[in-house]
Amino acid sequence: MVDPDELPTPPRMNKLFYHLTALLGAGALTLSSAFGELPKFNNVTVTVVGDAGQNMESLNKYADDFTKAGITIKQVGATFTGLYDKLKTDFVAGSGDYDMVIFYPSYIGDFAGNGYLEPLDDLMKKTPASVWNPKLDEVEPPYREVYCKWGGKVYALPYDGDVLELYYRKDFFEDPAEKAAFKQKYNRDLVPPATWKDWLQVAEFFTRKQGETLAGKKLERPYYGTAEYGARGFSYGWFLSRFASSGGIYFDENMDPMINTPAAVEALQNMVDSLKFCPPDVLSYGYEELKNAFLNGDVAMVVQWSDVGKKTADPQLSKVVGKVGFALVPGTEVNGSVQHRTPMPVGRVLAVPATSKNKEAAYWVAKYLSLDESPITVAANWSGQDPYRVSHFTDASHYKFSDDASRKDYLAATEANLKNGFPDLNIPGAAQYIDALDLAVNKALSGEADPKTALDGAAEDWKGITERLGADNQKKFWKEALSSYRSAGLLQ
Amino acid sequence: MSKRVILNFLKWGALIVFVVLFLFPFFWIVSSSLKARGEFFTRPPVWFPAHVDWSNYPDSLRRGALKGLTDSFIIAFSSMVISLSLGAPAAYAIARFQVGRENLPFWILSIRMFPPIATILPLFVIFRFVGLVDSYAGLVLSYTVFNLPFAIWILKGFIEDLPREIEEAAKVDGAKPFQIFRMIVIPLAAPGLVVAALFTFIFAWNDFAYAVIFSGSKVTPLPVVIAQFAGGHEILWGQISAAAIVAIAPALFIAIFLQKYLTRGLTMGAVK
Amino acid sequence: MLGTEEKRFARLMVTPAVGLLFLVTIAPLLFSLGVSFTNLQFGSPQPMRWSGLDNYVNLITRDTRFLSALWRTIELVVAGVLTQTVLGYVIASLLFRIRRGRTILLSAILIPSVISQVVAGWQGRMIFNASYGPLNDILARCGVKGPAWLASQQTALPTIFLTDTWQWTPFLALIILAALQSMPQDIVEAARLDGASGWSMFRFVTVPLILPVAAIGILLRGVDLFKTFDLVYILTQGGPGNSSETLTYFTYVQGFKFFNPSYASAMSFIQLILVTIAAKMFLSFVRRQRSF
Repeated sequence: MVDPDELPTPPRMNKLFYHLTALLGAGALTLSSAFGELPKFNNVTVTVVGDAGQNMESLNKYADDFTKAGITIKQVGATFTGLYDKLKTDFVAGSGDYDMVIFYPSYIGDFAGNGYLEPLDDLMKKTPASVWNPKLDEVEPPYREVYCKWGGKVYALPYDGDVLELYYRKDFFEDPAEKAAFKQKYNRDLVPPATWKDWLQVAEFFTRKQGETLAGKKLERPYYGTAEYGARGFSYGWFLSRFASSGGIYFDENMDPMINTPAAVEALQNMVDSLKFCPPDVLSYGYEELKNAFLNGDVAMVVQWSDVGKKTADPQLSKVVGKVGFALVPGTEVNGSVQHRTPMPVGRVLAVPATSKNKEAAYWVAKYLSLDESPITVAANWSGQDPYRVSHFTDASHYKFSDDASRKDYLAATEANLKNGFPDLNIPGAAQYIDALDLAVNKALSGEADPKTALDGAAEDWKGITERLGADNQKKFWKEALSSYRSAGLLQ
Repeated sequence: MSKRVILNFLKWGALIVFVVLFLFPFFWIVSSSLKARGEFFTRPPVWFPAHVDWSNYPDSLRRGALKGLTDSFIIAFSSMVISLSLGAPAAYAIARFQVGRENLPFWILSIRMFPPIATILPLFVIFRFVGLVDSYAGLVLSYTVFNLPFAIWILKGFIEDLPREIEEAAKVDGAKPFQIFRMIVIPLAAPGLVVAALFTFIFAWNDFAYAVIFSGSKVTPLPVVIAQFAGGHEILWGQISAAAIVAIAPALFIAIFLQKYLTRGLTMGAVK
Repeated sequence: MLGTEEKRFARLMVTPAVGLLFLVTIAPLLFSLGVSFTNLQFGSPQPMRWSGLDNYVNLITRDTRFLSALWRTIELVVAGVLTQTVLGYVIASLLFRIRRGRTILLSAILIPSVISQVVAGWQGRMIFNASYGPLNDILARCGVKGPAWLASQQTALPTIFLTDTWQWTPFLALIILAALQSMPQDIVEAARLDGASGWSMFRFVTVPLILPVAAIGILLRGVDLFKTFDLVYILTQGGPGNSSETLTYFTYVQGFKFFNPSYASAMSFIQLILVTIAAKMFLSFVRRQRSF
């Protein structure tokens, strides 16, 4: 018996053989990329630090994929307000303990500008693209240019697209009796306010005493048109909502503070005026209280983070399921048309410290979270993440809403707000500038100072901060920031 | 009604009022730990949850409270032992032998006056240098900063309060200083030891400022774990409350356990 | 007279404690002190410069935020120490007068002091919530409209004061109780036979007898009140506006939000000096009371 393997293969069989192998090989490659390619790392440990809880939950959910890629994830949790302290302490001490960091992009100037982070451009260009390319071109420009880049280089990948949004009680706005009453009083239709002037009108309209009627029902408790973020820490964000849409910006080209211009004072005055139509304890309203005011059905409309939208549909948390409308945050009329700028406070991005010893693996984990599984992450209730990519908005299937109309409205409104996004200040020292601004806003809200005096004080503080940090360096950083504002289309 | 009965009534009445006042928030924490997600921030507030939901407990334990418990216990217990074993002799020496006159004890107390905020950064740099960050030893060491002065001052106070005659008598009887310390002073100062032991444990158990900076992935004290339940967009009130109850339990047991030593020392005062 | 053997024994007893303390505190303190004389700012590319007493001078003469934080903290300390001492004494003497059930009652009352400040803060946020909290609910049922607690400038700092008092009065009560139990009964009996009772008993017998131990508790509470931070951090972050910003919280903001260690260190040393003066004054007051 002749051993078949010993027989020489005829030339035609050879060619066929090679073609078949090539075909099979190509087939295998395509199949594997269809399953979301996983690279192979050699048992690397990637230490990830971020604010603990639902914002790091994705690391748990996708743990299997990381294991398959040969990576072990070690999590270090910081507290929400203590994240900056923890990261900065580590960077300043040069520890090199962390491989991937999750932080709020307001710090990117501080971290990237001081050399703590690794530029990601080279890593992004590695092949195969399906493994390494984070597809940043499908991220909305304000987010991409200002939150992910610094000095023209990419330092961070998007992870959480926090943006403010206008939520309102659709059922009240569509109620025929209310519509008629509004039309009679103000001579225009009852719609979610398009400008901040309208905002005050609508808020006043819905603020009623106990015993009066609302949508046909008698009120057992006083009802309020709206609520604002009155607590220390983020009250500035609600001031920015008004200030930015009038064309306001933090500094001018020479780094003179622009937060006490007449437009700014008017913006703050609008916020102070709005307090008249808010619950009496509004000055202690932080994220929780503000969210609950709306979800409990106590206020007619509220400006809040985009993730509250998902919560309105959760029957465990919300008493207003199915009754919520979603809209663009009000804007300001400028030169005849209404301009919208929606603040993007907080947010999260992923970066690799320059001192990391596992940069490639860390970058890949970041890219995986930012792109591959992100459609599921941003829709899920177990995560704190919000949409930021075009693909997040085109595929609505992951979002849990009680009815299709609500889901579509929510996605449309969120996308619109992101398109008009206005970033947090992101130069070094941002924490100091923001704190000074927040203090001024809070003083005006509590009545301790009138808006002009408060903002003048903040502007003085800002000048002092710039001096202390080194005016030349700060001007340089601000010029960098301004150019990214331009590429994001935020400046006229 | 006799005056005595009225006084008794008032006495007990006042005590009940105090107990209710001090325990009310505790009751609220217990109630909160048993609530479901939607039962917080309601109007009117939910006093008794509709269904007792125990899931917050295993959930918080799973999310890190269990490790937090063990880590905190190791650290707090070690700190207590160190504070007492170093502090008691030092307190005795200062109280009875005037070591360092007035300046030494005051310097020891002044360490406690300095806000920890200012020393955390340099301490972090030093600890990093010697590799003590994210370690039990590092935290125990940083807690001595306020526990040891506390123990020394409490014990100094109690020791100074003891009548000298007993010690003098023992000295006349030929007892060595250390024997006097061990056999007479320590038992007599038991109430002081109880207070010092209890609160050095508690301070280390409950500390947040140092824990948050010096902890990492290996060592996660309970207060840091609890603080992590308060995320940016979702405060897990149920889990915070459950973890808080879990945090209170060991401390409470130690408090009850140590209480019987509060009164023991006094009956020995008559021994001559 | 202390013999040399005794002196040696004493020094030996003290050395381990003092040595350890010295080791752990001296380096950070020296570093802090040194840094307070510079303009060090982490994260700023400009070089560190020696600035002498500039930070200190600025703080005392120009920084109104610092001065108002200081004033607020002093108010908190005085109110806190007075209230907690009086209440603590009342509770301790009540407990002192009962035999049965003392352990249970004391353990129950001790619970607040055993809770972490962070936990107390979080529960405070829930309980003091003006719209949804149980406190205003109870008040409403009694027909009283509850104040805005943490949401108003006037009541924010008092709310922190209330939370701290709730938490630490049991601590003082325990110490005072221990002191009451240590009173030598023969002196007390003798005084009673002499006809002392009520106020005179309290003023001339009880107070001097418990003062050595009670004073330590009061002193420690005062020092700790000066360092009030955790509650502000959790409950108000210094707000509304600045109305509840304490000294240590402001130091934290400077040191950890702004990464201004030079400024924060200078603030800490000013605080240290002030507390030292206050403590020394208190101690000499106590010493004068003791001599009878």
